[in-house]
Amino acid sequence: MMVTGKGGTGKTTFSAAMGLVSAATGLNTVVCEIDTQRSALAPIFDCKVEYQPLVVREKLALCNLTWREAFTTYLERSLPVTGLVRRILENEVVNRFLDFTPGSRELVILSRIAQLCESYDRVIVDMPASGHMLSLLGVTRSLQQLFRAGPVRKRVDEILSLLLAETSSVAFVALPEEMVVNETLETMEQLQNRELAGCSPFVFLNRATLPSLTTDEARLMEWLGSQSLGPDAGEFVRAGLWEKQLEEDTIESLARLNEAFERGAISVGTISSGQSHRNVVGEVAAALGRKVGVTKRDLAWT
Amino acid sequence: MDINPWLAQQQLVVCVGSGGVGKTTTAAAIALQGAMSGRKTIVLTIDPARRLANSLGLSSIGNEAHKISLEGDSESAGELWAMMLDARHTWDALIDRLAKDPEIKQRILSNRIYRYVATSLAGSQEYMATERLHDIARSGLYDLIVLDTPPLKNALDFLESPGRLIHFFDERILKWFLSPYRRGRWGRRLMFGPTAIVWRLLGSIFGREFLEDLAQFFQDFTGLYKGFVQRHDAVVALFQDPGTAFVTVCAPNETSLEVARFFETEFQRRELGQGGVIINQLHQCEGESHDARAFLGELVEESSATPSLQASVLARLGMAHRRMRQRALAERRLCEQIKNTPAGRGFFQIVARSDQQVHDLKGLAWVANEIFEKSAQNRG
Repeated sequence: MMVTGKGGTGKTTFSAAMGLVSAATGLNTVVCEIDTQRSALAPIFDCKVEYQPLVVREKLALCNLTWREAFTTYLERSLPVTGLVRRILENEVVNRFLDFTPGSRELVILSRIAQLCESYDRVIVDMPASGHMLSLLGVTRSLQQLFRAGPVRKRVDEILSLLLAETSSVAFVALPEEMVVNETLETMEQLQNRELAGCSPFVFLNRATLPSLTTDEARLMEWLGSQSLGPDAGEFVRAGLWEKQLEEDTIESLARLNEAFERGAISVGTISSGQSHRNVVGEVAAALGRKVGVTKRDLAWT
Repeated sequence: MDINPWLAQQQLVVCVGSGGVGKTTTAAAIALQGAMSGRKTIVLTIDPARRLANSLGLSSIGNEAHKISLEGDSESAGELWAMMLDARHTWDALIDRLAKDPEIKQRILSNRIYRYVATSLAGSQEYMATERLHDIARSGLYDLIVLDTPPLKNALDFLESPGRLIHFFDERILKWFLSPYRRGRWGRRLMFGPTAIVWRLLGSIFGREFLEDLAQFFQDFTGLYKGFVQRHDAVVALFQDPGTAFVTVCAPNETSLEVARFFETEFQRRELGQGGVIINQLHQCEGESHDARAFLGELVEESSATPSLQASVLARLGMAHRRMRQRALAERRLCEQIKNTPAGRGFFQIVARSDQQVHDLKGLAWVANEIFEKSAQNRG
């Protein structure tokens, strides 16, 4: 499961929350970040996140896919004698070369994801934002053109067949805002045009405000908004109209996403403000859990 | 520091910050302000998601500068231009300029590794942005340039990438790389010593064919190295110029503010000009009482609504106000935190959340007003 979306939509939150739910259903799960200098998962789970998966609770591990370590793993897989790997990596020239060789970073990271898929029931990747996720996955197609045969080509083909498999999917996290929905739809289209995804992607509408106002209530609020109001009274009406606007944005965003995504959008409500990231993850996990029959007690997240 | 005289002195403003904080909109609003104060201004975006067009109300912006019409404005207004950077186009132009020999030029342009580097290599887009930026700055066509950058990780690439590319084309590396391909006395390709061992190993990872292509690519590129270094130095000088400043854009949430703090520290470390911080999308709610009836009861009674509808709307407004207040207070606490960060220097502007989503010039003008005019008013 590769989680992406426009910047700031809640990719990390959803990756972590999905990890919790997945582990609670009994699947051996790992949640991965991609080469982050400062882990976003670490403060949520209150632990260090490193290259080697670290088990943080029952059935749940975390890791950071740093490309240098991923490179070592990759070389160990490709070379017959493991002792040579260290010697190669000690060579400064080789290091510089690897630092800039076309697609090497992306390839080794994707390769590591594929490897994790062999040992876990579910691998959840907190991917880069939309455009950068496309470049990361797109490397497979570019490398196919670059390498017509040989060991790299073989690995690229393996990675692509994994990406296109029924068991792999991309999950978008969107917000009920016009520009976010635009970007989500554009990215999904690109993903399909460039044949980078097999099964149809999921989409989560985060911070959705589901309609609760009646038509009469909305009309009265609007009427209040058209009256001349003092600053204090104005604040009440503005707050009310703001929530009304959120409801309307949610309806419109849901309609657009439902039309474009075969599976339809899964909405998750707004979490009340001023909470720690850890609590927000818990609330999102609870909301996602409810949809698949996982209770708060199953999650055991406090 | 006051933002208005600050902007008047800048030639280049670079906006950085994490995703989804309104960076593109802010960059466009700063550019609009520059244009409205009579300067010829251009806003550039290197974001692959192509959002600038969206917030300027245009369907697309090409690799060429596109003039935005500032409808019905005063004579004092300058000009506003916008441009999206297309990496491959810029690469071709660069090769065209650096490679003197037409045969080599042709060979580079048709080399499949070059095609890959120019279109798909991560960081390539960022590198080319600095290239294009350099061109635009040198052209002298604009009084003010505002640059929008991609989110966090890539924005750092953007600062690093010229150096990284230079490393790649370092002559020492190229020589090493080409050494196994020097032809021997009988025209055979010879390999000796430790280089040959590493070379063979790389061959077993990447395949011989690929390495030979790569060697050819490097060979053609050797002559271009000096040109790259000169341009790199010029770009670095541009970033360090006193007329250049970096602006950190963030939203009032933990993650975004942490990213902002990180940037501020980085700028200080790298001795880059710090403009200041702009915090976007701030909710505002001053009143402490959530009793809607106390403030709106009489007015609601004047409406034609039934008493039960009146009551339900008043209850709704009370709850909405409570939520808004909670949010506003939490956000204000976060703002204070970043304001008091030791690394934070320069101006500190707050933009209230707009009732409407910003996707046209009118919206941008509103944002520009929040950033520039409101702060002037607050200072009296």
